[in-house]
Amino acid sequence: MAVHITLPESRKKSAVPDAPKHLVTPGDVITTDTGYMRGHGTYMDDDKLKASLAGVVERVNKLICVQPLKTRYNGEIGDVVVGRVTEVGQRRWRVDVNSRLDAVLMLSAVNLPGGELRRRSAEDELMMREYLQEGDLISAEVQAIFHDGALSLHTRSLKYGKLSQGVMVQVSPSLVKRRKTHFHNLPCGASVILGNNGYVWVSPTINDEKTESSGGYEQDLEPVPSTDREVIARLRNCILALATHKLLLYDTSVLYAYEASRQHQVKDLLQPDIAEKVADDTRQRLQMESG
Amino acid sequence: MKEVPISTCEREFILKAIRDRKRIDGRQTYDYRRLKVSFGMERGCCIVELGDTKVLAQVSGKIEEPKKNRPTEGSIIINLELSPMASPAFEPGRPTESGIEMNRILERNIRDSRAVDTESLCIVAGEKVWSIRADVHVLNDEGNIMDAASIAAITALAHFRRPDVTVMGEEVTIHSPEDRDPVPLSVHHMPVCVTFAFFDQGEFLLVDPNRLEERVMDGRMVVGMNMHREICTLMMSGGMLLVKEQVLRCSQIATVKVAEIIELIQKALDKDAQARQAGDKCGFAESVPANKITTNKKEPTLIDTTAAAQQASQVIQEAGPVDKPMSNMIVQAPGTVQIGEGLVNTWQVDDEDMESEEEEESRKKSVTNGREAVATSKPTERKRPVKAGEGIVSHADDSGSEEEEKVMLYQGDAEMKSTEDSTALQQPSNSDKPAKKKGKKKKAAQK
Repeated sequence: MAVHITLPESRKKSAVPDAPKHLVTPGDVITTDTGYMRGHGTYMDDDKLKASLAGVVERVNKLICVQPLKTRYNGEIGDVVVGRVTEVGQRRWRVDVNSRLDAVLMLSAVNLPGGELRRRSAEDELMMREYLQEGDLISAEVQAIFHDGALSLHTRSLKYGKLSQGVMVQVSPSLVKRRKTHFHNLPCGASVILGNNGYVWVSPTINDEKTESSGGYEQDLEPVPSTDREVIARLRNCILALATHKLLLYDTSVLYAYEASRQHQVKDLLQPDIAEKVADDTRQRLQMESG
Repeated sequence: MKEVPISTCEREFILKAIRDRKRIDGRQTYDYRRLKVSFGMERGCCIVELGDTKVLAQVSGKIEEPKKNRPTEGSIIINLELSPMASPAFEPGRPTESGIEMNRILERNIRDSRAVDTESLCIVAGEKVWSIRADVHVLNDEGNIMDAASIAAITALAHFRRPDVTVMGEEVTIHSPEDRDPVPLSVHHMPVCVTFAFFDQGEFLLVDPNRLEERVMDGRMVVGMNMHREICTLMMSGGMLLVKEQVLRCSQIATVKVAEIIELIQKALDKDAQARQAGDKCGFAESVPANKITTNKKEPTLIDTTAAAQQASQVIQEAGPVDKPMSNMIVQAPGTVQIGEGLVNTWQVDDEDMESEEEEESRKKSVTNGREAVATSKPTERKRPVKAGEGIVSHADDSGSEEEEKVMLYQGDAEMKSTEDSTALQQPSNSDKPAKKKGKKKKAAQK
């Protein structure tokens, strides 16, 4: 078995083109002017406004707050998330979405199989485990936010529901760019769901006809052909490479990374130097396109 | 903080491996991880490392009033701390249900089994007794805190020395360590816990589960036992039912494991005692291996080779001309010649020719008398090239005479040469002396 050994390297300063203007670390003084209102991530010490998080200072009129760079997922209404069911409770499922609290998926917020529209009965409650069990992965949309910050999800559309064959990649939530759609059918032969909470799901190409009938609960467990598997593995490694080099994830960047990685073997993409090369190529290409 | 849920495929993978009698970290079913016991500078301080699980125990003593119903006994208190330092799953503050359970098991194991004699902790009956407290802190949780904590607790109690006390009438004098050597606690026996994890409703069991295995297990059983095969604690938890035979089997396994563990503890205690007596440095700093990458770089040194060159030329001059030409050549094909013998084939390649060759080899061996055994594969090895280039012989016909004229440099060489001669000869050289029975037999076998 071949073992790959590399020597430790000093961290290189990444050539980030637009460095954010006002970066602070916890304890840094933001301003000594007392006329501002304190927002999230700040606190008053004597007469000075100091940051309590590491992040970028944002100012809206008189409100100063600090947006953290690395944080747990803070949900917004309308976000698409990929989560894992942790608990089956009374008329609800608890879903882990990489947030401070587990999100809640109410029984009334899911489509019944077969697409019927009716009031949920006691039998439905007892059959909850048939639909979603502990450990299942689902894609859902954020419907509401509770007072304590927990999210309420729904899977009311046919594109949401239980996920079957594929690979999940966990990245930082701040790396997933907010777009109009988070479901992408990439031309390379795979589909990717970029959840806003940092959980990315890579799967073989979804045929639109299949999902219509089942209502989102049928799991297609047929063996995936090995060519598809290779595409999925390559995509997963590309996403990891982009995430380690702090590039924003969206369909174009993932696609460019895939194309840049074509010359390497799939397993080589896990090596740090090759991952860096792929990330650099992607960054350059994105810059060329935009600039 | 709630633990990240383990994915379904990971769970299935671990369970499938267990059903195949394999463990993720490569251990056998009944294997413990690497167990390391080290002591600190202070008496009564002990760190136990079971794989990556790290537990620290510190014993301290205080003089207190005894309980009303037990005026002549001291007390042993064991406190297990599960802090977020061990794992983000532990919350600071109130101990969780599992934490309380583990604490109870530790207490029952050591206190209720009377591992440490509490009567000897009495100073003045009804007024002053020693209250010995063992604080066990979990530094890292990689599975099986129970075993590591029990080892740490009892080892720390055995390592601890309490100040010497003399009672003269009404006066009680507590001697400082400089005054009088501190006195060890009287530890009767060492109860150690062994944890078993069960899977598939009790069908498969593992000893010393690590963190991943603990998360997918159905239930666990803890057997606390000492060197004399006495069970001090028996606890089962989790949603499963066990059969009587399994419980008995687990206690049998525990006997073996406990013996090994206590032996290791004794060794560690002895080593520490020796080090302290000899005045060596002791403590955690000494027991931690230095994980340093070091390089040893040397400048190239110039060596004077003029003397060696002279010597070499001398040797060449003194040595006579080589009279015998190398005649053990085998021409494989036009342009390819094999000189000498290849090494033994260690590729374990299945060769169907081997068997027939071995037959001949055994016959050859029976003929040879007084000769040392040669590596059997050597002659067999040689057969192959001959077969490949069958019919091509490049030997001079006096090879037969060579056999007898040969000077035996070393047995193996001579054997080789002789067999080679015989194998190389495809046609029987009947003109050869009949005395060479060996060679003839070889040829006969060859046909």
